[in-house]
Amino acid sequence: MVEAFDHPAGSIAAAKVGGAIGWQGTLLHIHIAPSASYEMEELAEAECVAGRGIVGDRYFNGSGTYSPKPDVREVTLIEQEALDALARNDPPLQEGPITLAPGDHRRNLTVIGVPLNHLVGRRFRVGEVILRGGRLNFPCRYLEELLGKSVFLPLYNRSGLNCGIERGGIIRPGDTIEMLGS
Amino acid sequence: MTARIIMKLHVESARMTTHDVVHLRLVHPLRPELPEWTAGAHVDLRMPDGKIRQYSLCGDPNDRSGYEIAVKREPAGRGGSRWVHDNLSVGAVAHVSAPRNNFSLVSGSKHTVLVAGGIGITPFISMARVLAMQGTEFILHYCAKTPTDAPLLHEVRKICESRLRCWFSKRGSRFDPAVISIDRPDTHVYVCGPERLVEAVRHGLPKLPDARFHGEMFTATLDENFNAEPFEVTIASTGQQLLVPADRSLLEVLRESGFSISSSCELGVCGSCECGYRDGIVIHRDKLLPVSKRQDRLLPCVSRARVSVTLNL
Repeated sequence: MVEAFDHPAGSIAAAKVGGAIGWQGTLLHIHIAPSASYEMEELAEAECVAGRGIVGDRYFNGSGTYSPKPDVREVTLIEQEALDALARNDPPLQEGPITLAPGDHRRNLTVIGVPLNHLVGRRFRVGEVILRGGRLNFPCRYLEELLGKSVFLPLYNRSGLNCGIERGGIIRPGDTIEMLGS
Repeated sequence: MTARIIMKLHVESARMTTHDVVHLRLVHPLRPELPEWTAGAHVDLRMPDGKIRQYSLCGDPNDRSGYEIAVKREPAGRGGSRWVHDNLSVGAVAHVSAPRNNFSLVSGSKHTVLVAGGIGITPFISMARVLAMQGTEFILHYCAKTPTDAPLLHEVRKICESRLRCWFSKRGSRFDPAVISIDRPDTHVYVCGPERLVEAVRHGLPKLPDARFHGEMFTATLDENFNAEPFEVTIASTGQQLLVPADRSLLEVLRESGFSISSSCELGVCGSCECGYRDGIVIHRDKLLPVSKRQDRLLPCVSRARVSVTLNL
C-alpha cells in the first residue's frame, strides 16, 4: 500500500490550503468482497486497520484485482449523491438512467453529505476511524465488465475517493463523517 | 474476454438424475434474480483449492430465480466433479460466476440438429427449450448407454416431445451421423459430449461447412507429445522483456510480473485469458480460437511461441 499523503495526488493537495468546511455527512453502507470479482457483501459493522484496510476485504487480504499494483486503496468511498445523479441520468451523456445499488459499485463505503472530491490531502473521521484522502478514484473498464453496464463515462470525476486509514477502529452505518484539522 | 462477478449461491436442491449425475439448483441468498444468460451458456464453479470448472446451465433462461447444473461424477477426472458430489448438498454454498456463452445458438437459423452424448445433454436442454418456444424446427439426438444412464431424460422428453431421438447403445441402437440430413442450406449442427462423438459427427458430415458445425467438449486435448521450449515475450506498451521457461506457462510468467489477467479453465477451452499479440510465431494449443482470430489473438494459459512474441499489453 502507498501511504495516502505520500501519493503524488495526496501530497500535493495536502500542502495546499483548501477542502470544504462546515459539512457533516453520514455513513450509509459498508461493503467488502473477499476476493477479486466476488460480489460485494454488506456489513453491519466493520473493523478498519490502520495502514491495511477493512478486515475481510480483498485489499486487506491482498487478493484484489489491483493488489499487485501499489496504490492508496485501504478503503474506498463513493457519494450517494453521485449514484443518485446516475439514476436520474444527469448529465444525460449516457444511454439512460443507471441504477447502481450500493453493493454494485465496488467501493467500500457509501456516504451521503460528504464532498469527497474536496478531501484529497485532507483528514476526516468516520465514527472513531480517521481516514486520509489519498487520491480521487477513477472508474475502470473492469467494473464495466463485471456489471455489464457502461459506467465509465457516467462515473468519471465522481467515482469516489481512495483513502488510507490513519487510526483504525470499528465503523457502522449511521456513523458521522466530518472534517478534521491537518 | 470479460470479467464476471462471482456469487456465493446456495444449493436449493440436489438430486441424483442417474446413478452418477447430480442435478443442482442454485439460488442467491439475497437477490431474487440472478444475472441473465442465454441458451448454451456455462458458469464457472470455484472449488476451495482454487480449481475452477465449467458447467453448462441446464435450466430455463427465462427463469432467473436460480441456476441449474448437472454434474457427472468422474472418478478418473481432475477432482472437480468429485468435490461437487461430495460437498454440494442442500444448503451448501457454491462459488459461482456470472454466466458466459461460448456455445450459443446461431440466431435466425431455421433448422437445428442437436447431438448429445451423456452429460453433454446439459447445454441442449436450454437450447431445446428456446427452440421449442420459438417454434423453430429442430431435432435432438440423445446418445447414452441405457435410459437410466441418460441424465435428465424425463425433462428432455417433456421439452422435445416428438423431436427427440434416443440412441441407447446397450439396447442395440447406436447413433450414426449418417442419419443427420444437411441438405438444407440453413441447417446448423451442434454436438456436445465426449471428444470421440464430436469428432465422429464432424468427420461423418464432410460436406457440412465449418461455420454450420458447432462442437463443444469441456476437456482440452493437449498433445502429450508436445515438447515445450522456452521463449521470450516483449510487452508492447513498455518494451519489458520476460522469459517463459519450458516448464512454465505464459500466463504464469505474466502474472508473476504483475499483470492482472483473468483466467478460468487454464486448459485452453474457456477463453478467459485471451489477449492480443503481434510479431511472433505463436504455437496455438487452445481449443477455442477460430482460425480467423489466431492471427492476432492467443490464449496464454496453453499457447506458446517460437523464440519470441510481442504481446499487446
